[in-house]
Amino acid sequence: MTSGNRFRIEERGPAQVALIGVIDENADLTTLPAMAQRGMLQLDLGGVTFINSLGVRDWIRLQAAAQAARVSLELCNVAEPIIHQLNMIIATRGTAKVTSFFAPYACDNCGREDSLIVDAVAHAATLARGQAPAMVCKECGAAMAFNDFPERYLAFLQRD
Amino acid sequence: MSESSILIVHPDRKTQRVVQRILGATGYRVNIADDIEQAIRLIGHHAPVLVVVDGSVVLSDRAEAFFDAAEARGTEACMTLLGNMNADDVPKILMRGAVTNLLVHQMPTLAEELTITAHKLLRRDLFGLDKYLLWGVDPRTAELKQGSDRAGLVEQVANDLRSAGQSPRVSSMAMLVTDELLSNAVHNAPVDANGNHFRRDWPRDQEVQLLPNETVKLRWACDARYVAIEVNDSFGSLDRKTILHALGKNDVRESGGGAGMGLALTYRSCDHLVFNLSPGRKTEIIALIDVRQSPTERLPASSYNVFVER
Repeated sequence: MTSGNRFRIEERGPAQVALIGVIDENADLTTLPAMAQRGMLQLDLGGVTFINSLGVRDWIRLQAAAQAARVSLELCNVAEPIIHQLNMIIATRGTAKVTSFFAPYACDNCGREDSLIVDAVAHAATLARGQAPAMVCKECGAAMAFNDFPERYLAFLQRD
Repeated sequence: MSESSILIVHPDRKTQRVVQRILGATGYRVNIADDIEQAIRLIGHHAPVLVVVDGSVVLSDRAEAFFDAAEARGTEACMTLLGNMNADDVPKILMRGAVTNLLVHQMPTLAEELTITAHKLLRRDLFGLDKYLLWGVDPRTAELKQGSDRAGLVEQVANDLRSAGQSPRVSSMAMLVTDELLSNAVHNAPVDANGNHFRRDWPRDQEVQLLPNETVKLRWACDARYVAIEVNDSFGSLDRKTILHALGKNDVRESGGGAGMGLALTYRSCDHLVFNLSPGRKTEIIALIDVRQSPTERLPASSYNVFVER
């Protein structure tokens, strides 16, 4: 399923799909709730490279449609551009559950910057304290520091 | 040296001195007031061309009387500093809907922002991202002639920044800013002879062919301090009220919908947003992303200026 060449939806398994590319006015998200099974749909967002304000509008509509259809959304590998929107616009969070996400880390030792995957389930206790889990630099093996304010970047995990 | 003056209104002596040194370089006489009442008296005596005020002045009960006095004496513009206030106070300032120049950063960034803002206003020379970049930087230029060019231009800016070694975070912010500003210039800027925004409600997923007078100009550059992105349209339809309403939109956090969301997201995705307006002739928006600072050094607030050509 494609929209231009910039966005596509890939089925990865029963009730498991990956969104890949740019979410903008050409990305049709309305078909997603119908792909749920037993009221569940897992969205892998690791391949999302960009989302603009029109994509945000459609994302909010997706959340509303999923709630109306009683479909629970599970978001995994949530890319940083999506995290920024989840933090800026509360309505983008809906009732979706985030199980893993990318987060910025930096190595003070060698200067490497990385976007690393955080398992929100395994690190639930740490994240609930508003702390980011420890990570090791792939390049030099030193401890990496979380490269944003945890209270700002992890705000999307809060339930209002 | 001109007899014209600049007035600083700030309760903190150290900040007064810092700002006085910065603005003294303009060659204008700089007067200082500790509080709003003293400021109103000085405005009456000196008719300053520029006023620089602490954010607390804007939020005080006497703010309206102060701004009225400045306007009555022909003050060109008021610049508001975040000063001793917290970045969390910025929404309160935005909600006032009257602050056209808000500078939130501390030294040394404050010196850059204050100097450029003052010179633009005093010289009445508003346009161009070059004013925010170091000498010798050569901005790249592109034109958008149809709506579908937007995606390619956004990708071009991002690729340029990535190949220059900028982080994924910076290129991601630049993509969002470029996309929203181009989209705004294509769909919101165009007006007909009656001032109607005839393209505002067109479906965004349909192709738009721009007439020669509707062509949108994009420039971008990086000088290792800032990524600067400039978008120009030749309608000049964006006005101060619309801008301040968009920047002050509280519901960007709540609903994510409605007019002005693109500008609100742009403002929250850069460190300094500059609007240069020539009514009926040209609108230029410049977004600056500070690449010197890591995310942990970035303020949760951004500066902005709204300049109107007279």
